[in-house]
Amino acid sequence: MSSEEQPELWVEKYRPRVLDEIVNQRETVERLKQFVKTKNIPHLLFVGPPGTGKTTAALCLVYELYGENWRQYVLELNASDERGIQTIRERVKDYARTVSMGEVPFKVIILDECDAMTADAQWSLRRIMEMFWRTTRFTLIANYGSKIIEPIQSRCAIFRFSPLSKDDVMGRVRYIAEKEGVKVTDDGMEAIWNVSGGDLRRAINTLQAAAAFGGVVDEKTVYRVVGKATPKEVREMVEKALEGKFLEARDMLYRLIMEYGLSGPDIVRQVHTEIFNLKIPEDAKAELANIVGEIDHRLVDGANDDIQLSALLAQLVRFGRALKRG
Amino acid sequence: MSEPAPWVDKYRPKRTSEIIGNQEAVQQFVSWLKNWKPGTKPVFLYGPPGVGKTLTVEVAAKELGYELIELNASDVRTEEAIRRALGPASQYGSLFGFKGRLIFLDEVDGITGREDRGGLAAILELIKEARMPIALAANDPWDPKLRPLREACTMIRFNKLRSTQIVSLLRRICQAEGIKADERALKIIAELSEGDVRSAINDLQAVAQGRKVLTPEDVQWLRARNRQYGAFDVLKMLFMARTAREAKEAINSSLVDYETLLQWIHENLPLQYEDPEELAKAYDALSKADVYLGRAKKTQRWELLRYFFDLMSAGVALARRGKYHFVKYQFPKKILLMAQTKKAKELREEAARLIAAKCHVSRRVAKTDIIPYLSIMLSTPMGKGIAKWLELSDDMVKVLVHKG
Repeated sequence: MSSEEQPELWVEKYRPRVLDEIVNQRETVERLKQFVKTKNIPHLLFVGPPGTGKTTAALCLVYELYGENWRQYVLELNASDERGIQTIRERVKDYARTVSMGEVPFKVIILDECDAMTADAQWSLRRIMEMFWRTTRFTLIANYGSKIIEPIQSRCAIFRFSPLSKDDVMGRVRYIAEKEGVKVTDDGMEAIWNVSGGDLRRAINTLQAAAAFGGVVDEKTVYRVVGKATPKEVREMVEKALEGKFLEARDMLYRLIMEYGLSGPDIVRQVHTEIFNLKIPEDAKAELANIVGEIDHRLVDGANDDIQLSALLAQLVRFGRALKRG
Repeated sequence: MSEPAPWVDKYRPKRTSEIIGNQEAVQQFVSWLKNWKPGTKPVFLYGPPGVGKTLTVEVAAKELGYELIELNASDVRTEEAIRRALGPASQYGSLFGFKGRLIFLDEVDGITGREDRGGLAAILELIKEARMPIALAANDPWDPKLRPLREACTMIRFNKLRSTQIVSLLRRICQAEGIKADERALKIIAELSEGDVRSAINDLQAVAQGRKVLTPEDVQWLRARNRQYGAFDVLKMLFMARTAREAKEAINSSLVDYETLLQWIHENLPLQYEDPEELAKAYDALSKADVYLGRAKKTQRWELLRYFFDLMSAGVALARRGKYHFVKYQFPKKILLMAQTKKAKELREEAARLIAAKCHVSRRVAKTDIIPYLSIMLSTPMGKGIAKWLELSDDMVKVLVHKG
């Protein structure tokens, strides 16, 4: 199929449908295939960095278990979208009430971003998992296994998704580019790998956005995408603050929060990334990281992200002046 | 043995001799009423809130056998309304065993507005025509518009109560309620009340009801009542403060709620503090204050708010190194922006929801990992098809398309 017929996001278009298509993760795939063969799965816990195929593996697994009509047997939930464990419980209850009519005697609930759940919520989840065990199996997905409470870990078969190698990422990107008839230069490919940070989703999105400009995808177009995709306000905001222009920096902050809809942690992490692009003395960078880290920490407890981030900007102003004075 | 009744009512004096403070003023009023005869000037009681003006009038009326006809700020005070309510009463004597009627117009300083058209004139006329005693009361009698009233009346001044007077009253109430109260706690309540007995009793009830013991810690979070100011004044008092206590008092006097006030301080910090050192220090305090606010909300441990108030007040005010300088304070931009960008924000959220569903990710990941790339694609020929596939509306696309 060509992109004219079925235009969509390539991350979805080229998401593997069956386990064998999954890039890397050999061991995991082999064991998951055994589950499919016996038509039986335990509770699962997939752990690993973003863009390594956790959600894809879960979707492939249910596709192979149930076939084309898998959606009838699978409930996809995202812990960071649901409003608390109460809603999750309600939705699971409703869903688990009806018994599966197919060949497979249970349904599957895929719960993504579990590490976003509080410990209390996880304890409730543990009870829910227990309560509906006969009719429902959970596939839990998380970036950090350490954030999942022990009792849940002990009830799940745990699969660790390792970071993808450069060959894996570039191989997949090259494959998609070929299918889409997009020409990618070598330095373009290198640039995509560099900006992806090993996250295949980001690599594919970058490829597609670069291809959207039309023409050959080279280093320049890739960095053009990056420049646009990372709101440049973040860098400008940091620079303004270091120059001592607090009010302008804060106005940019408001825009990031209100127009781009970015959360405090999103912004603070981008600020952290920017530190290492700044033209400041090397030893100052660690010091800045410490300032950013402290605010990142306060965001966890704080009530107003914009106040925390403004406090960060005020620190940057002071820091910038100290730098100037040497 | 605490009852649900407000303690202000429960411990309300029954006789004028039981009224604490302002003895002279109370006596002056009692003898005025006792000796009243046609032609005697009406009286005008004035002074800060909660010092016993209304109480004096009500208790004295009862003591001396007068029927009290009362009108206050909550009544509509057009000329017509006043005439309707008081006209007959001021013309004829009482029939039901009262010695007479006492007309009491409370909060007359509230009558100067446009809605009370003719109200003042009606009162003046009433005063001149009346054949019975009339008492007026106000917090602030010095409005130029009230001048004719002041000239027509005998003025009786009520002062703020002394802290020691309030403490002894609070002590009596605690004894009656079976509460073992630390003297320092009562002193704090009394001082916070700034001479306002009513607010002191209300505060005491708020912190002490249901307790057996009252410690200074229990009353820390109390905020003074009645002397409330708008955000502009509070900011000025806050930034002028030289001691932690002054800063806290400024915050305590705020009419706006503390979360809104936090936004006001946040907005105006950089206007007040131009020196980077001051600004960073003040913002650090505000950031810590915000952390306590967040913790209090999340854990429902509201006693944590005391640290929030400390940091938001003293922490911010004492960051100042130089002299206070005048600043034209601004309305919080965040509150304005939130209203303006609400629509765009909703569209973004809805788009994120659609993308999340299609791409098996959370709305958060949709916003951070997909929309940035999508917004580039949407502005190219590729965009139309993708928008259709994601079922994004034209308005959503407009919001998402990369700007510049």
